[in-house]
Order: sequence, then structure tokens, then C-alpha cells
Amino acid sequence: MTGESDTVGSAVVLAGGKSSRMGRPKAMLPFGEEPLVALVVRGLAAVFPDVVVVAAPGQELPELPATLVRDEVAYQGPVGGIRYGLEACRSAAAFVTSCDVPFLDLSLVSHLAARLPDHDVVVPHWEGRLQPLHAVYRRSVLPLLERQLQRGELRPVFLYDKVRTLTLAEDEVRALDPDGWSFFNMNTPEDYERALARWRETPASAPGGGAGRCEVELFGVARLRARTGRVSVELPREATLAHVWSALALKLPALVGPVLTETADGLTAGHVCNLNGRDFVRDGSRRVAPGDRVLLMSSDAGG
Amino acid sequence: MHGFHGRFLHVDLDSGRPQWRETGEERLRGFVGGIGLGTSLLYEFAPPGVEPLAPENPLVFASAPLAGTGLTTTAKYAVVTKSPLTGFIADSLSSSFFALAIKAAGLDALVVTGRAARPVYLLVHDGAAELRDARHLWGKSAAEAESTVRAELEGAAVRVAAVGPAGENLVRFATISNEGRHAGRGGVGAVMGSKNLKAVALCGNQCVETADPEGVATAAAALRQRSLGPHTAKYREVGTVANLAVFDRLGALPARNFQQPTFDAADELSGESLTETSFSRRNGCASCTIRCERLFKASSGGEQRMEYETLFALGPLCGLEDREAVLEAARLCDGYGLDSISTGGTLAWAMECAERGLLPEAGGLRFGAAEAVLDAIPAIAERRGVGDLLADGSRRAALALGHDSLDWAMQVKGLELPGYEPRSLKTMALGLAVSPRGACHNRSGAYEADFSGKVDRLDSAPPRGALVAASEDFAAALDSLIVCKFLRNCFQDFYAEAADLLAKVTGWDYGAAELRLAAERIHTLKRRFNEREGWQPEDDALPPRVLTESLATGVARGTRLTRDELRDMLRDYYDAREWDEDGRVSEAKLKKLGLSA
Ligand code: SF4
Repeated sequence: MTGESDTVGSAVVLAGGKSSRMGRPKAMLPFGEEPLVALVVRGLAAVFPDVVVVAAPGQELPELPATLVRDEVAYQGPVGGIRYGLEACRSAAAFVTSCDVPFLDLSLVSHLAARLPDHDVVVPHWEGRLQPLHAVYRRSVLPLLERQLQRGELRPVFLYDKVRTLTLAEDEVRALDPDGWSFFNMNTPEDYERALARWRETPASAPGGGAGRCEVELFGVARLRARTGRVSVELPREATLAHVWSALALKLPALVGPVLTETADGLTAGHVCNLNGRDFVRDGSRRVAPGDRVLLMSSDAGG
Repeated sequence: MHGFHGRFLHVDLDSGRPQWRETGEERLRGFVGGIGLGTSLLYEFAPPGVEPLAPENPLVFASAPLAGTGLTTTAKYAVVTKSPLTGFIADSLSSSFFALAIKAAGLDALVVTGRAARPVYLLVHDGAAELRDARHLWGKSAAEAESTVRAELEGAAVRVAAVGPAGENLVRFATISNEGRHAGRGGVGAVMGSKNLKAVALCGNQCVETADPEGVATAAAALRQRSLGPHTAKYREVGTVANLAVFDRLGALPARNFQQPTFDAADELSGESLTETSFSRRNGCASCTIRCERLFKASSGGEQRMEYETLFALGPLCGLEDREAVLEAARLCDGYGLDSISTGGTLAWAMECAERGLLPEAGGLRFGAAEAVLDAIPAIAERRGVGDLLADGSRRAALALGHDSLDWAMQVKGLELPGYEPRSLKTMALGLAVSPRGACHNRSGAYEADFSGKVDRLDSAPPRGALVAASEDFAAALDSLIVCKFLRNCFQDFYAEAADLLAKVTGWDYGAAELRLAAERIHTLKRRFNEREGWQPEDDALPPRVLTESLATGVARGTRLTRDELRDMLRDYYDAREWDEDGRVSEAKLKKLGLSA
């Protein structure tokens, strides 16, 4: 569609869901020194310039680097939350998630965002089910969501038939998140214990858990297209070059097409990355460590 | 005959007599055109041991089979002669409408020998050749000479290649220029100047038919499509100036006469920042869809074409940080007809000599001294003061000056190094050492391996020899067909596709194997020519600085390239070439290529 912006510049975190089986508000479950919602928001804020948190009226929340909106009507399920969140977004599209996902994988999130062109919704499959609370939505679906709410259709899947929905096959998801930890959410105290145990082992695998950052310097076509020469990218634990590309696609959508492939999982012909001024790499599985310097350049050095 | 006229013109300036000769199908099949055809004619016409600036040294302009077919990037021609800078082969390319005019005038090639008694220009129109008085053009820039001749021949669609004052004054790195493009390296302009030949003007309507016009049209459309793909994005969107900042980060940008491989003002001079702040216009050769040429606005008003090599040589290499000064220096080189790489290289040598107190009359030359550079360039072109010494290039100047100054003359075989640091690009180091025309980045793209990740660019482990040999042959094929090197990555199976193009144009039954063999033959004949002109094993070398000093700055800091490493790479290369172990072309190889006497 011409003129349609494919920028996914916002993230929406639904923090107001029920926590009946958990016995206490999930958003406030401590992970280290901070509550879960803060951990999730901090991770998303590293890649999305705009983060919106949708909370229930009166819900207690910590100070967050995000726009806070309240789900004013009594709880209407995820569709209501998505609706309020999208309404408050500043970008044409948003990644939407719940707040009880300690192991969000930012490269998978970036990958979903990169798949948006020509679609209104991008939603992954995991273990045979669609994951509407780990999906990208265009703001343009808002009127449809409102009508859905009026009719009492509280499940997001009703939307999917009406708009251009891309469902990602499980294989495509597994390529980035082999064990599906992205979709691990917590409903019971036992889930929380399990999450804490894994989180303590590999805190860096959690969003914002801070494996560290790498600096990417752009040259030539990449720099002129992106209108910037340098960006810093948050790395998950055991990050690869593919993670860097996904994050770049999200931060600098102008690179997608000319420099990064449409699915942001590779470089276009004619481009190459260099690690720390040393190795030339085009293979996305190559490890990138915190503090690495990635140069993104033309692979043709002719002069 | 398809794709060629089947004849070339030999003009002897002593007698003024033009003579038509058959090109011969065997020569064309064996040497393709362009650089190959030019080399073959040089070998035939140059008396062994000829002085480069003597009348007998032939100056060859060679057309190519793909020129004029409309195939993208093929409006190119070769200039081949014995170089007054190196004493070996000089084989340069230039492009655009003059290239098309060689064909249109009815020539496969033009060979000029002798020396006119006074300045002349040669006019070839529709098969007739005449020498015309050029005294009124003497002293003019190539561009002025070009426009004057075109105005004089108003009505004829004439195209002109000319020398500027540098060529007239026998500056050993003078260029031949047409339409703002230059046959740049090796001093071909000095050879033209030595013949009192100011310009060559060509016009005509002599079409060359292709054997399979429909096939050619289909191939042209496909190639055009590919030329607009991601492989050429750098050239289309930024131009060659894109190299500068990247090379700096990789520790591959020679600065201050190769004393360091990074430059503090790299960001200020980078192609990206030039584009963001001073972009004026994009331009290209005739028949080109890539259009890599960039012109930038100068603060003095006007615009100046800029390529990476010019930017590197007049900027970092001379320690110049001010981009306006670099643009102005480039304008001067273009105007006088000077190879900007050798100009920068020779100036950088002089700067180092001056800083070491060896060149008292250096005219203020010091690294970073912009004013002195802007004064020195006209002085070189006019052979005034220290310019007279520098006009002979860094090697001759160093031999004249003495005091070990040859140690920091950054040249191979007399040709100044281009902007690729050999110590951090070790495949390129070998390529520079063995290239027949001296330190050259065009007649092979050896650096491609270093940028590919296939080898560790800081290490010299084998198989560097095979990589360099393959790159040279690839370039020989491109340069003879002629296809621009910036299209080189748009082929999937280059030899098969290129041979198929050649077959469609010429009607020959021509396959990948024959083209491969021709490429090797062309490269080998260049080498044979050099052997004939006195090449010795020690000529395949690198400057002492490269082999003794480790890199002082940047990511590759501390990296060295030792004499042993170079020796091993040379052995590997001669081995890959199946030459003798001291680098002479073996009799068996000559036989295989049909080159034995
Ligand atoms: S790519 Fe550049 S050098 Fe090559 S033919 Fe086109 S304009 Fe000329």
C-alpha cells in the first residue's frame, strides 16, 4: 500500500491483567531489585522509542520510562488493553505484549516488526497456538477493535480474519528463539519460582537484563540511508549478528531493503559486516559480544 | 566481421602518413580488445628497449568489442604505451563518448609513432586522417583544447582526447583526458606530449554490426537490470569516495606518506560527509546505468569531480585535512592533466624529505601544508623550481636527491602506490608487488580477497598467489572486453556470461575456456613485454617502509609485512602462474598461450 508507514516505533505492555492464581499482582513480582514490569519496559525501551503501559484503574506501578494509560472500562480482556495501548501510541504500529514475560527475545520482537510491510498484524505461532500478546499491530486496526468490543468479541483472533494478518510459522520463530522462552508467562507461584530460577542463572537473557551493548558504525549507503553514522544496540545473552540486524531494522527501518533483507535476517548482496575492524562476516550466526564494534559497509572496496 | 572493423590506423608523425592495417581475426580472438589489443600492438610496434619518450615508442588507443553495443558500462577505451614513469607497460583505461567515437571513426585501434615537428592534432573522420596545426592549443588544458577543437570542427560530431600542460612538459605522470575523464596512470600523457601531439579528434558514422543484435539487446536489458541491483549500490549512491572512512576504520587508509594507516580528519574528508554537505551532482560515462561519478561543490563556487583515489592521495597521504584544499588540488590536477595518485604520492615523498631536512628548496612543502600543495601542483606541471624534480615521479626524484630518500618513495616499479595499505591488506600487497604496470589497483582487484573474509587480511598465508593471479586475469578480461570493473560483481558466472556476450557480438564460437585463456594470455604478454624491457626479479617488490615499519595506528596497529612474507607470497604467486621460480614466464607457459616466438 503506497504511503503506508511500516515503522514499528512503539511497544505496548498490558500490565492490568488478572493475577488471581498468582495471588499477587504479576506486574510487581520482584526480579532482582526491580519489579517485573520495570524489567520488561526497560528492555523494550532499549529498542522502541515509544513504550506505552496499559494498567488497570488504581493499579500500583513503579516509576517507568513509558507513557501510562489506564484501562478505564472494567476489565475487557486483551482486546480492550490492545485498544487503549494502540490509541496512546505515537507510531503507526506497535509490538504488543503482556507484562509477565521475563524472557522476551528482542531479536524475535525485531523480526516480527520487520515482517510488517504489507500486513496489519504479525502474530507468531507457538506450540500450535497463535500468540496475540506477542504480536505487532498497526494502529489502523483501531476502529475494528472498537467494533469488536461493542459486540463483546473479547478475543483478539476475531480481528485476524478481517485484516491482513501474517501468522509466523513455528519454524520461523524457532530460528530465533529455539525453546520459545519468549512465550513463557507466569500464572502460578510455581511459574514464578521457575522463572526466577532461570533468570538467576542467565539474567542477561531477560529483556533489559543487560548482556551489554555493541556499537554499530554505518558507512556508505547504510549511513546515507539511515541518516546516522552510529547506533548502539542492546544485546541479549549469546547474541549473534542476526540479533544485531534485527535490532538495526527496528531502529533504522530505512535500512530494510537496501542494506538488510526484507526479513532483516541477512544483508543484501553488496554489503558486509566487519567485527572490530578485523573479520568480515555475512553469516548471521556469528557471535557478537558486548563491547564489540560492528562496521556495516559495502563489500566492494573498488576505488 | 562483426564487433570490429577489422582494421586499425597507424599514423607516423614523422612522415605524417596514415597507414591502414588489418587487425587480424587471430589477434582479436586471442587478445579480445581494449587492454589486450593494446598490449598486442605495443608488443609489435615498440622496438625492444625503446626510450619511453623517444619518437619510436608507440602510443596505442584501442577500442573493444563491446564498445558501442549499448551494453552498460562498456563505453571505454585503452591507452597503452611504454611508461616514462616505470619503463614498463602503461595500460590505462578511459571512457565515455571518445570511446564510442573510436568505433564510429572506423578504427579498432590507433597507433601513433614518431614526433611531429611542431604541435599538431590528429583528426580522423570517416576513415580519412590528417594532421592539423595545434600551436594555438599548446599550453591549454585538455578541456580547453577539447572545446576549442570541437568548436573549430563545428557541425561534425567530433570527440577529442587531449593532453594538458603536464603532458606537453613531459611530466612523467601526465594524463590523457577526454570529457573530464582521464587515462590516468603511468604517464601516457607525457608520451603523447613527447610526440608534439596535443590531441586526437575523431568522428564518423561507421557502425559496427553485431552478429546477433537481438541476443545483444536481450543481454543488454538483463545486464542493465542487474547493474541497478544491490551490488552496485555503493557506486550509485555514494561513489568511490565511500572508501575513505571505512578504510580509516580498518587501518587501511595510507596517510602522511604511509607513516600511518589512519587519518584524524577521515570523517571530515569522508565520502559520506562530502555527500551530506557538499553534494552537487552525479554523473557517469556514456552508456552507463551505474553513474558512479560524483561532483561536489567547492566553497569558491563551481564543482569538482572527486574519486576515492584522488581524495586519498591529495588528502590523507599529504596530511591535508581541509576538504576545500583537497577539492582545489584535485581541480588543479585535472586542469593540468596530472595523475592525482602520483601527484599526491610524489608530494608526500617531498614532504617527508623536507621534514627530514633533505629538501631545502621544497617551497614550504610539509605534511598538511595546503598552500604549498596548491603552489606545487602548477610548478610540477610547468616544471618550475622543485616542481621540475617532482615532475619525474618519486622514484626518479629520490634517485636524484639521494640520502636514502628512496626508502620513503612509496612506489613499485616507479608507479606511486594507490590508497590501499599493503600491510593491512596482504593479498593486495602481493598484487601491488607483481602488477606489470607498478603499484596498481585497477589491473587487478587483489584487495577484493582481503575484504571478502575468505582470507585473514592481516596474515599472508597461502593461497595468496592463486587469488592474485585469478584477480589479474579477471581484470584482464574485463579490461579487454571492456566492461567497467564496477559491474564485476553483477555476474554469476563471469567467464561464461562474458564469453557469451562476446559470441553474440562477434559471431565467434567463443566459450568460457577461450576467454579464460585469452585473459591469461593478455596478462602474460604484459609480463613478457616487461621482461623484454629489462624487468628483473627485484622489480617485483614493495617499498622498504612497507617491509620494515609496523603499522603505527588503528585496529591493525603493530602489524608488519616482512621481507620473508613477501618472498613466500611471491613464490606462491609464481607457482600459481606456473612461471619460473624467479618470476620469469616459462617457455612452457608461453607455448600453451601461443606466445612463444
Ligand atoms: S560505473 Fe562509473 S566508471 Fe564505470 S562506466 Fe559507469 S560511470 Fe563510468
